[in-house]
Amino acid sequence: MKFAKIAATLVVALSAMSMAQTNARDIMIKVKDRPDGDTRSSSMEMKLVNKSGNTRVRKITSYAMDVGADTKTIMFFQYPNDVKGTGFLTVNYDDVNKEDDKWLYLPALKKTRRISGKSSKTDYFMGSDFTYDDIGKRNVDEDTHKLLREESANGFNYYVVESTPKKDGEIFSKKLIWIRKDCDVVEKVEFYDKLGKLHRQMISSDIKKVDGFWTVGKMEMKNVQTGHSTELLFLDPKYNIQLDSKIFTVNKLERGL
Amino acid sequence: MKFVASAALLSAAFALSAHAQDELSLQLNGFVDSYHALQLQSPHQIMSSRTRARLELHANYGEASLFSSVNLAYNSIIKDQTGAFLREAYFDYAGRFLEVKAGRQIITWGVADGLRITDLISPMDYTEFMANDYDDIRVPVNAINLKYPGESFSAEVVFVPVPEYFVLPTSDDNPWQMTALNGMQLDLSGTPAKRIKNSEVGGRLRFFLENLDFSLTALHTYNKSPVTIASYNPQQQTAVIKGFYEPMNVIGGDVSIPAGEIVIRSEVAAYFGEPIALKNSMDYWRRSSFNALLGIDWYAGDNWTVMAQYMHKVIMDYREVLGTEQNTSMITARISKEVLNNTLKLSVYGMFDVDNVGFYVRPAADYLLSDQITLSLGADWLGGRRGTFKTYKKNTQIWAKGKYFF
Repeated sequence: MKFAKIAATLVVALSAMSMAQTNARDIMIKVKDRPDGDTRSSSMEMKLVNKSGNTRVRKITSYAMDVGADTKTIMFFQYPNDVKGTGFLTVNYDDVNKEDDKWLYLPALKKTRRISGKSSKTDYFMGSDFTYDDIGKRNVDEDTHKLLREESANGFNYYVVESTPKKDGEIFSKKLIWIRKDCDVVEKVEFYDKLGKLHRQMISSDIKKVDGFWTVGKMEMKNVQTGHSTELLFLDPKYNIQLDSKIFTVNKLERGL
Repeated sequence: MKFVASAALLSAAFALSAHAQDELSLQLNGFVDSYHALQLQSPHQIMSSRTRARLELHANYGEASLFSSVNLAYNSIIKDQTGAFLREAYFDYAGRFLEVKAGRQIITWGVADGLRITDLISPMDYTEFMANDYDDIRVPVNAINLKYPGESFSAEVVFVPVPEYFVLPTSDDNPWQMTALNGMQLDLSGTPAKRIKNSEVGGRLRFFLENLDFSLTALHTYNKSPVTIASYNPQQQTAVIKGFYEPMNVIGGDVSIPAGEIVIRSEVAAYFGEPIALKNSMDYWRRSSFNALLGIDWYAGDNWTVMAQYMHKVIMDYREVLGTEQNTSMITARISKEVLNNTLKLSVYGMFDVDNVGFYVRPAADYLLSDQITLSLGADWLGGRRGTFKTYKKNTQIWAKGKYFF
């Protein structure tokens, strides 16, 4: 009898845990699959501010196209002039077991390099506080997700999800994610380092509908350990625009905008 | 005059291709840099002191564009390096099924890092041997490049009516002057006549696939670096080193395969009819050779990059009278790390000439002072038992460079 009670308790506990994980994964899937059109473009402006207040600026133009569940993205660096003309092409596969395809064009060498699909993901993007992974679409199943709680603040309701990477080699041990329930937009993320200390904090703002799609206008990432921060502005976002699939080719990467 | 004619020709082509409804956009960019190098050993000679402005003009009009880049340079050591020099000037048209690039341009093929297996069209400018930016080492060529741009496949044909050849350090005021020339004349005037039969033509097919890039190339070209033969000038009663250039055919290809954190790169090419000097330096024979390179790039994360390459050359139908070993090889390595939010890049590039036990090592630190200004410090360390790197041992130097982008 006692054994049956324990077994029943375990079953309930395990299924509750499983439900929480399933729910959290579903929430993250909803976030990832939030409608954003089949094609999109935007200009990005990054302001990098160090602890002393010195500012550097990066400007990028990007185009993206969904091909089934996969996404092709091409980025052209516009400023500063020492990296102007540099291009980055990625094919981001939805299949978690498939490495992304990546090419980098270096105008000084007039050469395109095939780079590792694993590379860059954990590297910081152009000296900013965002990793390539933060900017791109990280596969939902690269992390284990747990719904911690639901909360309300600033007139909005949020899911708070804890995501823990499944593989070693990530720069965070876990992240806490605040997701706005009304629009499935990530409004805040706290990244914790391997020692479990808060490392970086990201806040999204200027969240609005553009062409009928929920859009983040500004993201700010602060490295609370170094005091370095990055403000990322998405300027002139466009959705479902006419894009030739030939834009997402090495040839276009080498030609530039 | 040559520059004006090129500009006029490009402008005319540009005007012809433009569409009335498109808007003209003009961009002027460039940089000013100043580079100074000091010999490490006595007499601590200033090896280089040069300042230049690079002006790059880009004009776009619909699918057509014009690009030109000019160096305005002052070189206090090598006098003939002072002046205005046209780098590139080409007309470019990007149609859906055909792209045309005509004019003076740098053409790069292959996947090797700094070594040449299939990348033979744009030669090298060794005025300061390798102590220059790679961008400046490549010599532009006057060419017509036609390309079919597919999504995962492209096909191109390159025609170079008058091939360009290696620029070698020959002037007496150049600290990098080839030491073999002491007391001897160098005659590199024997480049092939500017006739259509002496032109260079090549083609390349490129494929970009999931987990695999590869290309196939074929090229009718010349040995761009002259094979040198000793002879005697009876008029001036001096010994002369004479450079010879011979046509040769090349077929080859390259491949890049990403595998986890690494990318494996390889290039192979067979050269048919490559001239090779004899041991006695009195003549040369033409032989076929097989050239291969294997490289590994490791993207280790945390802004570390490690690259290593091994290049091997085998001369076919080898005879002992030839002045080169039958098998020769070279190893290169590059390690770089970016720190301080990518404002400081520390790198080391090294080449190791296996057969001559010669080496060239270039450590460098590049600091981004601001979005416009980069400051660099570095060294070129050369040495070994034999060969070119040993010859330049005395040129081991430290250098500093400032670069302002606008």
